[in-house]
Amino acid sequence: MRILLVEDEAKVARALKEGLDREQYKVVVARTGEEGFYLVNAEEFDLVILDVMLPGRDGLQVLSTLRKRGLGTPVLILTARDAVEDRVQGLDTGADDYLVKPFAFPELLARIRALSRRGRPEQALQLRYADLELDVVARKVKRNGKEVDLTAREFELLEYLLHHREQVVSREMLARDVWKETSRATPLDNVIDVHIARLRRKVDDPFDRKLIQTVRGVGFVLREEK
Amino acid sequence: MRFWPRHVRSRLTLWYVVVLGGVLVLYAGGALLFLLLSLREELDRNLVEDVETVEGLLANEPGGFVSFRTMHPEENDSSLQRFVEVWSPTGSLLYRSPLLQGQALGRPPKPDGDTGEPEPFSQRLANGLRVRTASSTYHIEDRPIVLRVAHSEEGLWRELREFLWVLLLAFPVALLLAGVGGYALARKALAPIDTMSHRAERISADRLHERLPVGNPEDELGKLASVFNVMLARLEAGFEQLRRFTADASHELRTPLTAIRSVGEVALQDQKSPPEYRDVIGSMLEEVDRLTRLVENLLALSRADAGHIQLQRADLSLLTLAHEARSLVEVLAEEKQQRIAVDGDDPDLRVSADRLILRQAIVNLLDNAIKYSPVERRIVIRVRRGGDSQVFLEVIDQGPGIPTEHRSRVFERFYRVDSARTREWGGAGLGLSIVQWAVEAHGGEITLESEEGRGCTFRMSLPLTRIPNPKRNKGGTQ
Repeated sequence: MRILLVEDEAKVARALKEGLDREQYKVVVARTGEEGFYLVNAEEFDLVILDVMLPGRDGLQVLSTLRKRGLGTPVLILTARDAVEDRVQGLDTGADDYLVKPFAFPELLARIRALSRRGRPEQALQLRYADLELDVVARKVKRNGKEVDLTAREFELLEYLLHHREQVVSREMLARDVWKETSRATPLDNVIDVHIARLRRKVDDPFDRKLIQTVRGVGFVLREEK
Repeated sequence: MRFWPRHVRSRLTLWYVVVLGGVLVLYAGGALLFLLLSLREELDRNLVEDVETVEGLLANEPGGFVSFRTMHPEENDSSLQRFVEVWSPTGSLLYRSPLLQGQALGRPPKPDGDTGEPEPFSQRLANGLRVRTASSTYHIEDRPIVLRVAHSEEGLWRELREFLWVLLLAFPVALLLAGVGGYALARKALAPIDTMSHRAERISADRLHERLPVGNPEDELGKLASVFNVMLARLEAGFEQLRRFTADASHELRTPLTAIRSVGEVALQDQKSPPEYRDVIGSMLEEVDRLTRLVENLLALSRADAGHIQLQRADLSLLTLAHEARSLVEVLAEEKQQRIAVDGDDPDLRVSADRLILRQAIVNLLDNAIKYSPVERRIVIRVRRGGDSQVFLEVIDQGPGIPTEHRSRVFERFYRVDSARTREWGGAGLGLSIVQWAVEAHGGEITLESEEGRGCTFRMSLPLTRIPNPKRNKGGTQ
């Protein structure tokens, strides 16, 4: 999957490219709006990540020109201004999604996956990872064949982790997607930590192989320890 | 308006002078008119007497003419000139005094004896002489005649002219005096304003503690100065708050930055194993997280200050909202073996509110209550009616309470009762500011009651939405 990253801030561009390369994406970096515009017209990309604040032509101008020319590639915009008008304007201009800087890298990965999956939603009724099984319809969880009793919130949390297995999810993603709390100012971090701890107690503690890992400073990941 | 003077005192003076001038002109006009009327009245009285005198002197002459029996020699004095005309009713001239030099004293009378003129009347003779004329119908030996007698009005008009001159000479003097006096008065009256504006010029952002002089607090200017001083006091408080806010904000921002820096620098001092580096980076990321959250909270508050946040209002049951907030943070209380109870059973206590914002406010209050209460205590969310149009949501804890000296300031940004302890829990002192903003944005009020050592009660009072209550309607006869 080829991604065009239009970002003028060298440090950010390098970090994102490195991170995305590790995830097996092929990333081309453009440092200005003009360069990005040229590259989109010259080559084929599956996704464009576009910074709004660019020197010269800003990201939204580039995007609106591209959309007028009939570009159908999904576009994810990055904006530093955390203002509602900016988001609305971005989506009106033809962006498919947006992220507010500073964002967590796992969040960017999740958005990229969602955009590339768009149109064919994953509707697994049975989620499995290692010896963990989760039945979405019956709302039952088994580990190593034994049923684990979870509360509704713990179930949703585990379901989310299973959907993103082997991907780091940030507390912010959990707050938004599991707790449906859109305001980042609500103090949910402690709440999330407590729920993760309880989930761990039920799903991991009785077993030798631990599945729920904490990535310090970033979030959590469902991954088998090696 | 090009000639309109720039200074208030000049304008006031101009007004005095113009108004006084108008008054003087009216007065002079009235006086002149009164003088004219009274002089004429005197002249008319003389005329009537004269007519009677002249009647006695008339005699018939052959051929239908009339003559005067006697002529006083002093009648040659022009000031006492008496003009006489005698007409027959048919309109033929019977006599005209030689003084008239052939000029007519009005039109010939009509046959019915009507002279056709009001009595007496003023007119101008052909040679320009102004005269006052009186007529009367008279019979000499059964023959009707019309007698006209006129006096010169020149003396009267001279007197009027002289009076007018006296007035005209006095006018400029009066106006000049009024102008000078008015200017001095206006200057004196406006002097405090000059003082005030000089003083106000000196008051800048650095010298907001200065105040304007208040002369007499009862008069208009004194009131103005007092109002200015109140405004200055508010400005000073505002600046002070801003200064404190900036200092606090930079302190709060610097703390995580310092942590990131020193953790990074120390880690680079010697070789570490990958897991150790991981730990260092994770710790730095945690600080970044804190920084991000702080900036977001600040942004949210500044957008709120600027009025950029629009509430997505809906009709909500406050009780439901309380339950939602409780279920969100209940786990935190459970970790400390605390219990959160919702006290209230009227789901009809509804408010028009933005669900997320109001719930966040309740969550913030609960979060604080959980943090500050010791283990195994009870926290109560009480929803109850507060009078006719208010509904209260109280969050009551059994924590240590808040000392009196801190109570009025806990809603201020970055204000913390015990800074060291709070920072340990990750707070930046913005939670209650956000609560206050949220409640006030909904037209409500937040208050704090606390007794040291016995916990505190945060009370939101919100306007109650009026909705038709079927139960109450049915029981309306009670």
